[in-house]
Amino acid sequence: MIRFEQANVIYDGGVTAMKDLDLEIGDGEFVVIVGLSGAGKSTLIRAINGLVPLTSGQLDVNGHDVPNLSRKERRALRSEVGMIFQGFNLVDRTSVINNVLMGRLHQVPTWRTLIGRYPDRDIQIAARALQRVEILDRAYVRASNLSGGQRQRVGIARALAQEPKIILADEPVASLDPPTSHVVMKYLQQISRDLGITTIVNLHFLDLATAYADRIIGLRSGELVFDGPGSACDAQVFEDIYGRSLTADDTMEKQAAL
Amino acid sequence: MSDERLQLPPKPKPSLFAIGVWVLVVVFTVITARRVGFSFSGIIEDLQRPNPVLDGLWNIRWGEMFSERSRKAFVETLQMAVLGTTGGVIVSLPLALWSTEVGNPYVVPRVILRSINNVIRSIPDLLWAGLFVLGVGIGALSGLLALFFFSLAVMTKLTADTLDGIDMGPIEAADAAGASHSQMLRTAVVPQILPAFSSYALYDFELNLRASAVLGLVGAGGIGNRLDFFRNRGQWDKLWGLVFMFFLVVFIVEWVSVRIRRRLV
Ligand SMILES: Nc1ncnc2c1ncn2[C@@H]1O[C@H](COP(=O)(O)OP(=O)(O)OP(=O)(O)O)[C@@H](O)[C@H]1O
Ligand SMILES: [Mg+2]
Repeated sequence: MIRFEQANVIYDGGVTAMKDLDLEIGDGEFVVIVGLSGAGKSTLIRAINGLVPLTSGQLDVNGHDVPNLSRKERRALRSEVGMIFQGFNLVDRTSVINNVLMGRLHQVPTWRTLIGRYPDRDIQIAARALQRVEILDRAYVRASNLSGGQRQRVGIARALAQEPKIILADEPVASLDPPTSHVVMKYLQQISRDLGITTIVNLHFLDLATAYADRIIGLRSGELVFDGPGSACDAQVFEDIYGRSLTADDTMEKQAAL
Repeated sequence: MSDERLQLPPKPKPSLFAIGVWVLVVVFTVITARRVGFSFSGIIEDLQRPNPVLDGLWNIRWGEMFSERSRKAFVETLQMAVLGTTGGVIVSLPLALWSTEVGNPYVVPRVILRSINNVIRSIPDLLWAGLFVLGVGIGALSGLLALFFFSLAVMTKLTADTLDGIDMGPIEAADAAGASHSQMLRTAVVPQILPAFSSYALYDFELNLRASAVLGLVGAGGIGNRLDFFRNRGQWDKLWGLVFMFFLVVFIVEWVSVRIRRRLV
């Protein structure tokens, strides 16, 4: 379970990116966060695994007291939380399987990492993760030789290889075309359902959000302005979250039609 | 396709800075040439005088390429170059990592390492050899040590510069996966720099091979010792034979190395 209590994030420049946030996310939920650019979506996601520290307030993630973790405890927390990035963040120069094995680092002894000989058990876990996103046949291809959609599937496999309790995805489809975006979102949804992994996804296309979210959280200027089931989210609600009327840029289908 | 000519925006004028740099380069070259007393006619005149060194070139003793002693000297030179390069290259990787921000979050040790490296690098290989000949004694060990330090400095510098320009995304991913610092370096950083690093290592080997010829002149072993021996005795014909052999070896090594490096990067 993830629980924010009166959490604030104020960046060095003085920007308040999270304001008095009270939020509870239960195990296995599939949550989509929406909001305008700069609303604080990335900040919320990155606070959960401690990449962004809270300025004040409480944050409990699966029993980890996030603001007060030692370096070792923070690594333990991060090993339970898989992360998927907009720009994939793969090591282009190495193979797909090596990228996925990065998800096993917290279990693998350092000396084995240094000589690049991973235990068979961990290679099996990585392979299973690749199979789940149906890209196992490309295991020994260099990551740079994959298409954008395939690379994001490798990104998902890397997160899965951690055998995480939570998956965080910061705009995972923002650099993909609409059909590929749907493929990636379907994998995320299916993984969350099959394995009971709590999944939190930032999206900026509203149609994608309503199509996949069990629960939608709306942010505006760092504040929580909507929290409800995906079905309760109509155009009016989105206009409230965005503080303006909707345009073609806000939905993937309409934008793709342009 | 229309035939209409497109109007480009006006070409930017060359900056005053660029012009200034060019003027300085030309002025500096002319002044130094006059200072050194450089003149083409002088060179031609010199070449026409009787000259035992050049006479040797016309009567090269090819046999010297294969004599027992020359072969030994060559093997020693190659050993020095290989060992010096390997040692320097291996030690340079951690040093380069520790002297950059990605590899070392602490400012003070980083600055100290960089400064030490700058000092090492400012000492040319010949001077290193001279120092070690004084300290360790005449012979290949001094040459080896000189090449080691020279490699270390060059490799650390080049690698550190490469490290400053890598993609930070994979580092973020490794951190987010709960990797330790050294695991992060091994999986997210090293694969990114490895092609460039290998290429630098080969280039360093080329440099060392050429340098090892000169090191012998100050007593640091290898082919240079033998060159020095012939030079002192004025046996220019034999010396040229050796130079030719050395040229051949360097040529082959570079030819191979350039080809490998092209495939790396
Ligand atoms: N490292 C930082 N230092 C200073 N300010 C930051 C930093 N990161 C984010 N901000 C600011 O905090 C606010 C929220 O940023 P955040 O990245 O969380 O927004 P976002 O909702 O993810 O936006 P986007 O959709 O553009 O990714 C913005 O105003 C941003 O400029
Ligand atoms: Mg963002």
